[in-house]
Amino acid sequence: MFNSALSRRAVLGSVAAVAAAAGLAACSKDTASSDPTGGAPVKITMLVLGDKPTNGRYQKMLAKLNPILTKKANATLDLYYVEWADWQTQYNVQLLSGDSKIDLITTATDWLFGWENAQKGAFYALDEEILKANAPKTWEQVNKKGDWDLCKLPDGKIYFMPEDNYTQWTNHGYFYRGDWAKAAGIPDGTITKWDELTTYFTWVKQNQKKAFPWDVAGANETPLTGYLQGHTDGQTIQQLSAGNYYPFQTTAADPYTVGSWYAESDELLAAAKIAKQWAEIGVWREDALNYDGDTREEFFAGLSGADQHHTQTFLGVETTMATRQPDANPKMFWFGQENKNIFRDIKTHGAMAVAANSKHPERALKVYDLIRNDEECYRLMNFGIEGSDYVLTSDKKIDQPKGFDPAKDGLGTNFWAGRMDEFELPRVNQPANKEALFKELDGMAKDYPYSTLIFDKTQIESTLAAMGSVFSQYIPQLQYGKFADPEKAINEMRDKLKQAGYEDAKKSIQADMDKWATDKKLK
Amino acid sequence: MAARTTEPPAISTPAATRSGSASFWKSMRHSKVLLVMCLPAIVFFLVFAYGPMPGAYIAFTNFNYRDGIFGSPFVGLRNFEFLVKSGQLWLLTKNTVLYNVAFIVIGNVLQIALALMLNEIRSKYFKKVSQTLMFLPYFVSVVLIGVIAFNLLNYDTGALNALIISTGGNPVKIYSEAGLWPFIIVIAHLWQSTGYGSIVYFAAIMGLDTSMFEAAAIDGASAWQRIRYIILPSLKPTFVILLLFSLGGIMRGNFGLFWNLVGNNAQLFQTTDIIETSVYRMLTSQNNFTTSTAVGLYQSLFGFALVMTVNWIVRRINSDYALF
Repeated sequence: MFNSALSRRAVLGSVAAVAAAAGLAACSKDTASSDPTGGAPVKITMLVLGDKPTNGRYQKMLAKLNPILTKKANATLDLYYVEWADWQTQYNVQLLSGDSKIDLITTATDWLFGWENAQKGAFYALDEEILKANAPKTWEQVNKKGDWDLCKLPDGKIYFMPEDNYTQWTNHGYFYRGDWAKAAGIPDGTITKWDELTTYFTWVKQNQKKAFPWDVAGANETPLTGYLQGHTDGQTIQQLSAGNYYPFQTTAADPYTVGSWYAESDELLAAAKIAKQWAEIGVWREDALNYDGDTREEFFAGLSGADQHHTQTFLGVETTMATRQPDANPKMFWFGQENKNIFRDIKTHGAMAVAANSKHPERALKVYDLIRNDEECYRLMNFGIEGSDYVLTSDKKIDQPKGFDPAKDGLGTNFWAGRMDEFELPRVNQPANKEALFKELDGMAKDYPYSTLIFDKTQIESTLAAMGSVFSQYIPQLQYGKFADPEKAINEMRDKLKQAGYEDAKKSIQADMDKWATDKKLK
Repeated sequence: MAARTTEPPAISTPAATRSGSASFWKSMRHSKVLLVMCLPAIVFFLVFAYGPMPGAYIAFTNFNYRDGIFGSPFVGLRNFEFLVKSGQLWLLTKNTVLYNVAFIVIGNVLQIALALMLNEIRSKYFKKVSQTLMFLPYFVSVVLIGVIAFNLLNYDTGALNALIISTGGNPVKIYSEAGLWPFIIVIAHLWQSTGYGSIVYFAAIMGLDTSMFEAAAIDGASAWQRIRYIILPSLKPTFVILLLFSLGGIMRGNFGLFWNLVGNNAQLFQTTDIIETSVYRMLTSQNNFTTSTAVGLYQSLFGFALVMTVNWIVRRINSDYALF
C-alpha cells in the first residue's frame, strides 16, 4: 500500500491534535468558572423546549425583564429553543455538543432524560454552598419541602432544581365525547371501565360513519399500558427505559421486587386480546402505524371519537371543543381510574439544570432564582407584559387582551422548570370543572415511590438497547392487534427478551433496588 | 466519462509506490498543477471523511459528555454486544445486502437497456423529452414518495383499494404484508434512479468510436448485432467501474426511501429493516450515541472489506478494470 507508515503517523497526529484541543478547552473552562458578580452584565442563555414563536412577543418581554435582571443579578436572559420536530434527538445532541453558550437547561427525570444526562456529565454539579449563595430563595423553598434529595446522584451533588411547588396533572388517559357515550348507552355518558371503551368505540363505528372511533396516528402503546395500569397494581419504574418503552414495574403489593408487564405479566395477553378486538371493530385505521394525521384536530372536527393525552392537555381540549363542537361534552377516562392506580406528577417532571460548560454558573443561578421567586420577573417570564400579553381582571384573574389569538399570540417562553403555585393566577377561560377534576384525582392518586432511586445502567445499557429493539418490533403490532395469535407473539417476544439478556438486566436493577430500600430503611 | 471507458485512470504513479521520500516529493512537485486541481476534493474528504474518523472511537467507550470522546472509559466491544443479543445482526446485514444486490443488478440492467433504447431513438425531440421525463423522478423528494405511496396503498382510503372495492374485489392490507414490500421498495427505487443512472451509460455509448458502427454497417450488421457485438462489450469497463462504486455503498441503503415508505411500522421490519433505519430508530428513540456509532462502524468496515474483496477478484480477472 501507498506509504502506510506515513499515513498512520498522520492519523495518529491528528488524533493527538484533537485530544489536545479538547484538553485545552477543558482547562479554559475551569479558569473561567470563578464568577465575580462585578464587571459587565453577562448573557445567560436558557434552553427551553418548544417551537420558537415568530410573533416577537417574548423578545419584547425580555426587553422588559432584562433591565431588572441586570440590576439584580448583573445578567441578562436569552432563550434557546429546541423545537418539537424530532425534539428527543435535537435535545440530546445539543447537550452532547457541550455548547458553552448554553447556561441553563430545562430537564426532567421522566421525559427529558434528566438522570442519564446528569450521569453523562451534561450538568454542573451543584451543592448547598453555591445554591445558598446564588439561589437562596430556591434553596430555601426546596429545602423546606425536603426535595433536594430528589436531585442528587450518589456522589451527593445536586444536579438540578426541581419544579416541586407547582400543581399539575400529567396522568394520561383517553378523551372521548360525552354526547356519543350517552348515545351509546353508557350510564350518564361517562366511561368508568375499560369494557365501556369497547362499547363506545363500537357505537361510534356503527353510528358515526365519517369518524374513526379513535383515529390514532403512529405508534401508541396505551391500548396495552392503559389496560395494564387499570387491571394490575403495577407501578412503572420511570428511571428505566428501553428505547421508547418503560418495561420495568413493581407492584404495590410487593414494591421492592422488580418485574415487568411486558416480560412477565399474564394481563398482557388480556390487553392484547382486547386490542385485537378493537382492531377487528375498526377502532383505528388499518394502517395507523404509517398514518401521520393530527388526531386532536380530527377529534375537534368530529372525525375521531377519541384522543389520548394527559389531564393538563384535556383542560385545553375542553376549552377548544367548547367552540368547535359545543355539544360534544368532552370527557376523560384516566388510565388506572378503575382500580385507583394513578400517580401524582413526580416533583422532577420539570427541573432546571446549570450546563456543565456554562462560563457563568453562579450568575445563571442568580437569574433562575429571580425568574422563579421574584413575582415581577415571574409574571413577565410566565404571563408576559401586562396589557399586551394578558390583562388582570378586578378579581385577580388572568384574561386575554382584546383581539388576542392564543394560536398566534402566545408568549411561548415554555418555562416549565420552576413555576410556583403561589404566583399562579386563575385563568378566566379555564374549564369550570378544573378544580373538581384536580380534587377527584387528588383523592385517588398515589405518590411515586422511587423518586430517590438511581440506577447504575452502565453494565446493562447494551441489554436495554437490545430489549428496546425487541419491543419496537412486537409492541406496535400487539398494541394495534396485528398478530393473528397474540399469545404466540407474546411468547416469542418473551423468548427474544430472554436472549437479549432480560434476566441479567432485572438482576442488576433488583440489586440497585435492594440497596436503595436498605439504605432508606424501607425493607 | 468517455475517456474512462477506454482506459482506467492511473491512480498511483510507479514512483510513488516505491519507497524513498526523495522520489515521492519529486513526483509531487512534478504533478503540482494536478494536485492543486485536486485540492478541493482532498479538502472535502479530509474535513468530512477523515476528520471525523477518530470520532469512531466513541463506539468503544462508555461515552459521557464531561470526559468527551477520548476521555470516556474504554469498554472494548460492549457496544457491539447488543447487535448480537437482539438477534438483529444477521437480519439487518441480510436485508441490507439483498436490497442492494437487487438495486445494483436490476438497476444496472435497466439503465443499460434504457441507454440502448435512447440511443436507437432517431427523433431528436422525442429523445430529449423522454430523457427529461425519465430524469424527473430523481428530483422528487423521498418524503413525497412516502406520502404518495401511502395514499395509493393504504387500506382505508388508498386509491388502489378503492379501485379493488369498486370492481368488487376484497381490499388488500398492504401495510401489513411484509412479503410485498421488497417489491414495492425495489420498484420505487428503480423508478427513482433508473433514468438518472442511464445517463452515464448513454454518455458512454455516445463516446464510442463511430467508425466501428460505420464498419459494422458496411459489413451488414443488424441493429441487434450492433448492440450485441459492439456496444455491450464496449460498455463493460463502465459497467465494472460503476459496479465497484456501488458495491462500496452496498452496506448503505437508500435510507430516505426506506424510512419514508416504512417508518415505524414494525409489521414490515422483517423484510424492510436495514442497518440505517435500525440505527436511526435507535438514535432517535434511545439517544444512544455509542451503540449507533458501533453499528455505523460495523457497516463501514463490512463495506470496506467487500470493496477490497471484489476489487481483488476483478483485478485477478482483468487488472485493467480494477479500481486500484
